[in-house]
Formats: sequence, structure tokens, C-alpha cells
Amino acid sequence: MITAGIDMGSRTVKVVLLEELKVDGAPQLKYGIKKVHIMMPGELDQDQAADKAYDDALAAAGLKREDVKAVFATGAGRKQVGFATEGITEMTAGARGAVYMYPQARTVVDVGAEEGRGMKTDAEGRAIDFAGNEKCAAGAGSFAEAMSRALQMTLKEFGEASLKSDKTIPMNAQCTVFAESEVVSLIHASTPKNDIAKAVLDAVASRVCAMVRRVGIEGEVVLIGGMVHNAGFVQALKISMGVDTISLPDMPEYISALGCALIAAERQNS
Amino acid sequence: MADGLFDQFRNWYEKRHDYARDWKARTGGQVVATMCTYTAEELLIAAGMLPVRVLGAHEPQNVTEPHIFGMFCPFCRDSLAQGLLGRFDYCEGVTLTQSCIQYRQTFSSWRSNVPSVQWDYYVPMPNDVQSPHARKAHHAELQSFRTFLQALTGKELTDAMLREALALVDENRRLLRELFEYRKVANPQVTGVEALYASITAQFVDKREHNEQLKKVLAALPTRQLNRPEGVRFMTIGSENDDLAFMHMVESVGSTIVIDDQCSGTRYFWNQSKPEDDVIKAIADRYCDRPACPTKDYPNHTRFDHVLGLAKEFNARAAIFLQQKFCDPHEGDYPDLKQHLESNGIPTLFLEFDITNPIGPFRIRIEAFLETMSDEELF
Repeated sequence: MITAGIDMGSRTVKVVLLEELKVDGAPQLKYGIKKVHIMMPGELDQDQAADKAYDDALAAAGLKREDVKAVFATGAGRKQVGFATEGITEMTAGARGAVYMYPQARTVVDVGAEEGRGMKTDAEGRAIDFAGNEKCAAGAGSFAEAMSRALQMTLKEFGEASLKSDKTIPMNAQCTVFAESEVVSLIHASTPKNDIAKAVLDAVASRVCAMVRRVGIEGEVVLIGGMVHNAGFVQALKISMGVDTISLPDMPEYISALGCALIAAERQNS
Repeated sequence: MADGLFDQFRNWYEKRHDYARDWKARTGGQVVATMCTYTAEELLIAAGMLPVRVLGAHEPQNVTEPHIFGMFCPFCRDSLAQGLLGRFDYCEGVTLTQSCIQYRQTFSSWRSNVPSVQWDYYVPMPNDVQSPHARKAHHAELQSFRTFLQALTGKELTDAMLREALALVDENRRLLRELFEYRKVANPQVTGVEALYASITAQFVDKREHNEQLKKVLAALPTRQLNRPEGVRFMTIGSENDDLAFMHMVESVGSTIVIDDQCSGTRYFWNQSKPEDDVIKAIADRYCDRPACPTKDYPNHTRFDHVLGLAKEFNARAAIFLQQKFCDPHEGDYPDLKQHLESNGIPTLFLEFDITNPIGPFRIRIEAFLETMSDEELF
């Protein structure tokens, strides 16, 4: 059986095609990821982007739409996935995907482009509490992206630069626009870029940490979403949360889509 | 509201300024802008006036910055904006009964800067209503308010006039509670949106007209069938909330709001007065005894058990905190009240409200909250 999970994020569309394996004597191999696919919608409307991303993923996997038993969608644009069998929220999907990858995880932190959130989960991967940023982007990836642009660095360079700094420069502004003004002020004060990058990522981590503390930090902590690729942010989050280890999945941006596909499969089997 | 049963309330709400202007033209009476539901409306009604609670417009504004801090609550800022924008220019008077410091600043700025204000009056009601001196103090303050109104109108406010006004307001409270009783049952005949239309309009419509409309609705309710899925039964908790778009959204994703602890809802009308020989004492005590706003709920937190009691009485499965950003009194109560509810089996969700609210992200949170409580096995 094949199921699909589609995460219609604010910046990218992620597709996971999941295959039920049922390997005898290996219950941990109940499911396997058959294909993952990510695309930027570009000029496409959300519904067109969903269609294209899904069709491209199916083509890459050598599958047709009729081969897929169920399609579950999540993400800010999940309502635009017209062909989805069902929609579930990012909290439920992210928690399920993270606990599938890390069965001991009880705290899941999801930082994508538009939103940061913390989830408390049970052993089954059910989100039992959650908290997210409200109107502001200061706890989300787009904040780090805007600040890296101000420093004329790529996101990857931005993260790596922050790791080379051991300075702590507090950023007072919690708003992306005002924070950019602070960054400009730091540039004018000839503050090294490494220190500014660390200041920005410390600020994002602090905001995210404050959200996670609302639901409580318990058990293994897993970070999902695109900000996993930013090593400086991961380090800042560890310090901010006061934990030695944060588990980082190999394909962090696909975890919510994976959670969707898993729930779709398990619903078919129930 | 396919059957139109609550359309009159909705029309009043949507055209509240037109209603007040029309009332003024019909009756020749004064209209008074009131802030806070601790205002003793009985005195204004007895004086032949129409008390109209100031509500916000839920739209961006740029007029309050010179007058009130940006970190004061959005309801206070939105309320003041309405005055500064001239939307209450039909009100001769403005009055506040003390609750929070942010409302006080709204009132102070209003009376100083809204050109149409001809008179203002501040009732310094004690916040420590649990003090043994509170009732006596509030009695004295309401007597002073009575004296002020008599001087203003040049007419005596007799005990008989006050008793008549008190009876009218008490009838309104009784009828609203009767309406809310219909929300207790499974698949209630009244939605949260409809109940809010009814309770919020009571705060600015002539009580005689409001009571008559409530009676019409109550007569039709026993046989009413809404034919909508009940979903999860929610309680809402917070200060003022008349964000109808938000309420509609919540009730469109698999839930029904069955009860509230908000000053736009039950806190406004939940208790009636008790018989007293002294009518001012009856009025003053009623406001001291009403379900408390957090500003008036110390040293004992009487509202915690009251809120839990409402949740149980109305069989609410979960509660949503509608926290006006920067509303310190409610935010101060939040951690303990959340714990009180959750330790008694009522899960909670916290949403931070502003002048305008992000319905899309809020919908995702509501849906995720529903998923955490889903009886259906997701996996």
C-alpha cells in the first residue's frame, strides 16, 4: 500500500510517498519512505503547485495517482490541496513524524519559514499540547533569512558564521523590521559579521525556546523544519533550552509530510 | 442563523451607532458612552438616558498613539479610537467605573480629547470588593453618582425611578440567563455566535426593547432545531470579546461554544440584585457580588471555581483563553486558572487577541486543539 503526505508550507511544497513494507520478523520496518520531493511554487498558485509537486513525486517514484491509497495534507496551505483525502494540522503531523523517527521524543520543535512552534507529544506521537508564534515572524526561519540578507550572506554561511563567535550581543527588538534596524546599527558600529549572526540566531532561539517552555521541555527533544540546516541556530537553541542534545532528522523539512503519510497509512489499516 | 431568529440582535450589533442615533431622535434622551460592565446602568436608565458600552471596530487605526501607550490592551486602544474618530459623537456623556488602569487611561483620554463630550463622570468603585468596607464605599459612590445625575438633569432620581430601572435591568439579566440555559443541552438550540449577539447587544440597546426581543426568541426556542453538528463543546475565557469573525470560524470547524466567562457575555448579566429596602444598596451590592473580573478578584480567586463551575454546568469539554494582548489582569490569572481547569479535566488553548486577529493561523490552532482531543483514533 502506498500513501502520500503533502506539506503545503508557506515557502515550499513537500511530498512524501510512503510504502507499507510488512517485513516479516522486523516490525520496525512496517513502512518505508519510497520517495520524497520538494519544490518551490514559484509563479504557480497553491493548488497548481500542489498538483505539480505531487505529480513530479509520483513520476520520480514511477507511480500513478491511482496507485496511492490515501493522500493527507498539512501546512498553512493544506486547504488548497484539492485532491487530498483529508487535512490535518501541522502540529499533529509534525509530532507524528518526529516520534516515528525518534520514538523517545516527547518534545518536538518545528521551525519553518513562516512559523515556529513547540509540541508536547505522547508515546504514540499524538500532540497533546502546543504553542506557536502569533502574528510576528521573530521566532521563524524567515526572520533569520531576512537578517542573513542584511549581512549579504547565504543562510548556510550565516549559520556557520555564528558558530565562529563567542560573543553575546542581546537583540532587544522582537520584530523583524526593527531587528533589521538593530543589525544595521551593529554593522555601522563595525561589529564583526560572525558576532551579528550569532546575536540574530540567539534571538530567534530565545523566542522559540520561550514558546516551547509554554508546553514544557520533557524527554528527547527533536527539531524539525528547515532551520535544522542552520547549525548556528541549532547550537543557540540547545543553549537556550538548556539541553545537551537535540535530535536532528536527516530530512527535517519532510517530517510533517511524513507524519501525514503515516497517519494516512495507519488510518487505512485501522 | 438560517431561521433568522437572532437577526434582530445581529442587526443591532452591526448598526449599533444607527440604533443609538435613532433612539435619541425617538426619545429625546441623552446617550452615554459607558466603559466597563461594572457601570451601574440602572442609574443612567432611571435618569432617562441610554447607556451604550463602547466597543472597538476591529480595524487598524492610527489615532490613539498620542494618547495611550501601544502596550496597553488592544480593546482599550480600539475603544478610544472609536471616540477619537467621532463614531460616538451622539453621546453627550461618558462614564467609567473603575476596573483596570488601562481602561482608566482610555476614559481620561476620551473625556479630554473627544470634542462631543459634554459631561463625564468617574465612579471609583473599590477593586478590593472582598474588603468588608467595599459595599459601604460603593454604596456611597453610587449615591454620589445619583447626586451628580440629578444636578445634571435638574430632576430628582427618586427611589421609585431607581427601582423601576433596577427591575428592568434585572429582567434583562434573567432573560439572558434563560436564553443561555438552552446551551446546556446536547446539540444546543443556540450557537455561541448567537448567544454573543444577544449578550453584547444588551450592553447598548434600550433594555425595554432588548427584553421584548429576548422574549420573542425564548418563545421560539423550545421547538427550534439547528441541524448542525455539535462537535466539541468549548468554553471561552477572557475580557471583552466581540470578534464575531473569530467566533464564526471556531464554530465552523467542528465545535460549539456553549458558555463563556467574559464581560461581553456572562459576567455582564449572570447575577441579579437581591431585595433591599435601600435601592442604592441593592444596586451597589449586585455589582460587588457579580462574577468577578480579575481586577476585582483578590486576595481570594473567587472566579477560578466560578469558571470551573460554568464549564461543568454547561458540559464544556475544553476551554479557549482569548487573551487580549497586554491585558495584565487576565494574563496574571492565566497560569493558575489554566492549571485549575486542566487539573479538573478541562484542557485549554491560549490565543492572544489583538485589534485585528489572524483568522487563518487561529483556525489551524483551533483545529490542532480539536485533533488533540479527537475521540477518533488518528493512528
